[in-house]
Amino acid sequence: MKFTITREKLQEGLVAVAASVPTKTTLPVLSNILVEAVPDGIRLSGTDLDIAVSTLVPAEVDAEGAVTLPAKKLVEIVRELPSAAVRLTAASEQRVSLECGRSRFKLLGIPRDEFPSFPPVRFENAWTAASGDLQKLIGHVAFAASTEESRPILNGVLWELRKDQMRMVATNGHRLARMDVPASGGRQAADFIVPPKALEQIRRLFGAADEIQIAKSENHLGFRSGQTYVYTRLIEGPYPNYEQVIPRDNDRVAVVDKQALAATLRRVGVVASDQTHRVRLAFSGGTLKFTVSTPDLGEANDEMAASYDGEPLEIGFNANYLLEILKFMPTDDVRITMKAPERAATLEPSGWDDPASYLCLVMPLRLVD
Amino acid sequence: MARIRILPDAVADQIAAGEVVERPASVVKELVENALDAGASDVLVELGGGGRTRIRVTDDGAGMDREDAVLAVDRHATSKIRQAADLIGVATYGFRGEALPAIASISHFTVETTPRGTPEDGTRLAVKGGRLEDVGSASRQPGTTVTVERLFFNTPARRKFLRAARTETRAAVEAVTVLALARLDVAFRLESDGRVLLDAPQAADIRERVRQLFGAEVADQLIEVHWRAGPLSVAGLVQRPADASPTGRRAYLFVNGRPFRDPFLIRAAEAGFRGAIAPGARPTVLLALALPGDQVDVNVHPAKLEVRFRDRFFVERTVEAAVRSALRPLAAAAVIGGGLGELGGQAARGADVSPGTAGTAVPLSFFAPEAGSPLVATAPRRPLLQVFDTFVLAETPDGVAIIDQHSAHERVLYERAMAELQRGDAPAQRLLLPLTVRLAPDELDAVDAHRTELARVGYAVEPFGGDAVILHTVPNPHPRFDAGRCFQELASDLARGRFGEAHTRLERFAATFACRAAVKAGDRLEPAELQELLERLFACNLPPHDVHGRPTIVQLPRAEIERRFRRG
Repeated sequence: MKFTITREKLQEGLVAVAASVPTKTTLPVLSNILVEAVPDGIRLSGTDLDIAVSTLVPAEVDAEGAVTLPAKKLVEIVRELPSAAVRLTAASEQRVSLECGRSRFKLLGIPRDEFPSFPPVRFENAWTAASGDLQKLIGHVAFAASTEESRPILNGVLWELRKDQMRMVATNGHRLARMDVPASGGRQAADFIVPPKALEQIRRLFGAADEIQIAKSENHLGFRSGQTYVYTRLIEGPYPNYEQVIPRDNDRVAVVDKQALAATLRRVGVVASDQTHRVRLAFSGGTLKFTVSTPDLGEANDEMAASYDGEPLEIGFNANYLLEILKFMPTDDVRITMKAPERAATLEPSGWDDPASYLCLVMPLRLVD
Repeated sequence: MARIRILPDAVADQIAAGEVVERPASVVKELVENALDAGASDVLVELGGGGRTRIRVTDDGAGMDREDAVLAVDRHATSKIRQAADLIGVATYGFRGEALPAIASISHFTVETTPRGTPEDGTRLAVKGGRLEDVGSASRQPGTTVTVERLFFNTPARRKFLRAARTETRAAVEAVTVLALARLDVAFRLESDGRVLLDAPQAADIRERVRQLFGAEVADQLIEVHWRAGPLSVAGLVQRPADASPTGRRAYLFVNGRPFRDPFLIRAAEAGFRGAIAPGARPTVLLALALPGDQVDVNVHPAKLEVRFRDRFFVERTVEAAVRSALRPLAAAAVIGGGLGELGGQAARGADVSPGTAGTAVPLSFFAPEAGSPLVATAPRRPLLQVFDTFVLAETPDGVAIIDQHSAHERVLYERAMAELQRGDAPAQRLLLPLTVRLAPDELDAVDAHRTELARVGYAVEPFGGDAVILHTVPNPHPRFDAGRCFQELASDLARGRFGEAHTRLERFAATFACRAAVKAGDRLEPAELQELLERLFACNLPPHDVHGRPTIVQLPRAEIERRFRRG
């Protein structure tokens, strides 16, 4: 294997792939990047076995071949190289020399046979989606997925592709986020449960204007745009029936200023218990009152204006759940709907000038009087 | 004819002997106490045939002149009090004036004594069955030797009740042991048929005395108690909970330097161990109480084995608090290597002993309790290291603390659960997707029986028909908490009574919940989580012990590390 490439192109390719290389692994070859010299350039690939990223960068290839090199060291070397042509030569599968200007490195690799092969995903009958739409969905929904291991299905984000829209839903059983975006394309309906880590790669790697092709194999999903591919394992199993738990009869509605609500929650949250961050919200007339009381620590009280004209209502929440949701709310005002202290509450953008629709749901904490 | 007559003294003495002298060990106790009251600094006890054939107690105390010696074997003759008022706050072991005549009335009894001031004035006195047989001169060093032979020779019934020589010897050793614990400034030695059974030179502190009497292993398992509440101070040693076992415990109580028995106070001391000790394990306790003489009456038992406190409830409460306070410092955690009592900063303050000052008085300041507040264990600050995904290593001022992450978290959650069970306000997270849990019939019963407790810690449980229940709310004590699994394990434990021996229903429930909700061995924790766990652990009441009585913290003393690297 022998090729020449500009330092910038090599750097670009490595940055795209390096994020998929696990920092800690029991399989040594996974901390390496697969470098393949093919007729039209070099293909760089990395994987942690769940997610794989692969990209092609243009290069002058003298001799085809493949080798794997330690990702961390390769990235560090290339970052420090002068802006000049980089020449890579593999004497054997394990001995690689890298030259750039007057710098010379010799690196030990691992034979490519040890590198796992990618899932066979065929893009012939692929779905397509606008990268901008996907970024929006991922950016508003993925945060709500669970990180606990007890219900693996909730560790994924549900992605529903329909004829004229796409939807993502994520929940950890305590709070939920759901977003719909209209999308043309007359596609075939499909549901996937995707690990958030893979979605994060997709959001990072593809430009907003790109069109992304999506194809499925038995239990993997492939994403492609240009010469960059992302593969991910899919989470299997039926996703819980979330429609059923989204309340439709919440008749108490408040509209509050997002920044003020977040600031107050952060303030009173200081004395909330470390784990549950329980805050009591009391809606009445034009005010929203906050109370926090933590045994062994102390109390906090605060209040703010809110437009609310329902029956007075007191309800407890994990302040962190609310704060997290507020972070993703796209509008200055937030519309909160409730029914009773033990029923789910919803948060939606208020006055959002966007074809997408966004809803977050949060389950209350028990209040004891 | 008058049917009621005054008994002859000899008969009265024998009756008194029945109360005071139950067995050879009682004689040993009375004679050694007399020696101590006489200001002895060296006491030798010799037994023959378990004390049946011979008991000899030799001291280097004040001694007596001839007149006093003759009087001493008379009833109610004593040098220790003069009038009834002296009984209040009496500081000598004896004061009733009954012991010597009682013993003399049922044995062949010989006294050899020389007063300190006039060494030429030695007296030898022989009494048989209470009858003075011979008074003569003797020559010996200042001090007194009392020899009791053929004990119970004239009371065959009592003689018949004596146990095997070995049993009687053991009882005599125990009698001396108790007094040796009370008087560190006196050297004690006990020989039985020529074998040395107890040899305790003067000791610098109580731990050294314990080492002399029970061996280094026992001494190293003990942690110090220093506590004061109002007029009462409590000092002494108690066993580390992790070392306590169901057998082999020793329990000694002293008040103002006087040994006494009180099962209720022992129980109060054990109550101090609650929630930190394995069910059924009984810790060794040695506690010395000091309080003003008018707060305690020692004249309620002929052999003075019992005392009466003016405010017994207060004393019990204080003893419990004292023991509990001792378990809190890091020093209470188990130690690897040579047991050093010097961990946890200032834990091992020298327990200096004030020797018997006024000749016959028992020193009132016994373990010299310092009135200081109890030590507070502080969380180690240095960077933490998790090993085997199970233990946390942290630097402490005196070494390395090795902390079991599950035990530590269990302790944190146990104390929180106890508080929540009482307040009933645990944060309960309502679930978007309620959990359905299938249970066995006995588990369903257990869940039904504990519905209130479950609700209080955050589980809202509703029957779901058949063998299933549905959980609408769950607790959320930490980010790794698996509410469904915890509930199943909890139901299983409750049904099978795994924590059946915990003291109360609430404690049982809290221990079960804490055990199941805590992070497990094998969970890899982030550095921030480790830090938080330790901070919370050291904010607990009893950081070094988990709810099963296993250690939470094991200490590797710096001195031990240095010793291994020969840096000592």
